[in-house]
Amino acid sequence: MSSKRMATIMGVTYGIAAIMPFFVGDIRFIMHILIMCLIWAVVASCWDLIMGFAGIFSFGQVAFFVIGAYTSAILSVQWNVPSVVAILLAGVFTAGMGVIVGLPCLKLAGPYVALVTFGVHMTLMPVLRGEIGIALGSGGSQGILTIPPVNILGYTFSSANQIPTFYFTLFLSVVCTVIILAVIKSYWGTAFLALKDSEEFAMSLGVSAFKYKLMVFALTSFLTGVMGAFYGHYIGMLSTRMLELDLFCTLMVMLVVGGIGRFPGAILGAFITVTANELLAPLGAYRAVTLGALVVLLVLLLPNGVMGLWLKRSDAEA
Amino acid sequence: MLKATRVTKKFGELVAVNDLSFHVQDGQIYGIAGPNGAGKSTVFNLITGNYGYEGKIEFGGKKITGLSPYRIAQEGIARTFQIPQIFPSLTVKKSISVGSRFGARNGLDEDHVEKIIRFVELEDERTQKTGRLNLLGKKKLMIGASLATKPKILMLDEPMAGSNATEIKELMNLIRKINVELGVTVIIIEHFMKVLTELTEKLLIIESGSMICCDAPEAVTKNPEVIESYLGKAYAERD
Ligand SMILES: Nc1ncnc2c1ncn2[C@@H]1O[C@H](COP(=O)(O)OP(=O)(O)OP(=O)(O)O)[C@@H](O)[C@H]1O
Ligand SMILES: [Mg+2]
Repeated sequence: MSSKRMATIMGVTYGIAAIMPFFVGDIRFIMHILIMCLIWAVVASCWDLIMGFAGIFSFGQVAFFVIGAYTSAILSVQWNVPSVVAILLAGVFTAGMGVIVGLPCLKLAGPYVALVTFGVHMTLMPVLRGEIGIALGSGGSQGILTIPPVNILGYTFSSANQIPTFYFTLFLSVVCTVIILAVIKSYWGTAFLALKDSEEFAMSLGVSAFKYKLMVFALTSFLTGVMGAFYGHYIGMLSTRMLELDLFCTLMVMLVVGGIGRFPGAILGAFITVTANELLAPLGAYRAVTLGALVVLLVLLLPNGVMGLWLKRSDAEA
Repeated sequence: MLKATRVTKKFGELVAVNDLSFHVQDGQIYGIAGPNGAGKSTVFNLITGNYGYEGKIEFGGKKITGLSPYRIAQEGIARTFQIPQIFPSLTVKKSISVGSRFGARNGLDEDHVEKIIRFVELEDERTQKTGRLNLLGKKKLMIGASLATKPKILMLDEPMAGSNATEIKELMNLIRKINVELGVTVIIIEHFMKVLTELTEKLLIIESGSMICCDAPEAVTKNPEVIESYLGKAYAERD
């Protein structure tokens, strides 16, 4: 798909989101859902970049989100670091963690990468709840309950003033996804696709698998860490509940709905999934089942996700 | 130009390449042949740094042993694969520019990419996804992408496999053109003796990882040991 088409789809999606406050600006519940859509759009896009484009079966995306969230929260609660600085530091720290997780993955085949990265996810909960976490200020099983909102030059972005917070999130989300678009369309993106398609051929043409795989780990965990950090400041509290399977599955649904390797499908997937999840809330215990059934249907009918609707035939074959 | 000295590669118990030494001269078309499993492809994989090994390989007087594959590509050693490799996600032009962008010393060179596309005669397929190419097209693409790295030497692993007589002629012409017009040294692994005797100046025969002989093709095909172990009686007694 050409960059023009990608940018158009992103422009329309974010454009529609941008005018929503004019219609539903006073409905707190809907504004909250929209903010969540904007946050998850970035995380799902990062996952798509590393898995769909670079072909690395990283299942650590939620873990990186939580690492970013806790890092920033701990920095601002325990060390009084200003929120914006804390968010950036959290992004850098998460990127470092991404590289550390990425290193052992370089030599491993797909399914093992999935195991290693999901292993990081699995160990995170006991670490945060245990003595190490408590010593660092994770709040153990209770979590962190008093995270200050983002504050820029004395202006606070919190759920108390939702509309400005919405536009701030929109700005963050657009910046992050435009970075992802630029990377996909740059020679980095070409290197990722080449390595995914045939690593030995790509290397024989001078592509360094080491460099580009670590770069994709660093970049996606940086952006995911930043969004996680922002999420913590927006919600005001964090707990390890995020690491339960719920969120992980929802994120996977976003990717499947949007189409894996079909950027900017992941953005649409995030909007659709977060919204559907809320619409299905009245079903109570049946929500998960219904969502699951919808996913099965969608995979069967639209294997390329909603992006399948836009793809030209030649694109779809690849 | 390319010099291997006492190279040995073991895969566990199996000695895939055994104390092998050879020297490819600048400008040559150099052939490698031998029975299945003789270690021919492994020799390429060692040169391109895909595995560690004992011994030493030098290229243009510089030791390349221990360098990683992408660095060796950037040094000017290009190769193709026995099982054609392509990038199904990329178009023909994009695939070839991967070689130019990442493999060539001075980075992406659009003019050179265009020249290579014409050189391997893939003009009409330029904007196609590579997955749609037929076998010959895939081979040309692989050759084109490796030429885009502006190599000093090109190593072809059984380029004729699965091709019919007309395609073999076409590929042989292409290989000659690469050697003469682009001035690229060529090493070719091949099972078709006729291709090797027509193309190459020097022929290395290996079996079970060891050198049987290394000489001009006319001499090699008369060598009793080669006839015994590889070519078989039928070859010696033909015509
Ligand atoms: N990565 C590997 N691990 C273990 N054994 C290997 C590996 N690569 C090759 N071998 C073994 O090394 C020997 C030489 O293999 P190689 O592919 O070099 O043979 P070849 O001469 O290219 O044969 P062919 O004509 O069939 O292509 C074979 O016995 C093969 O099974
Ligand atoms: Mg072989």
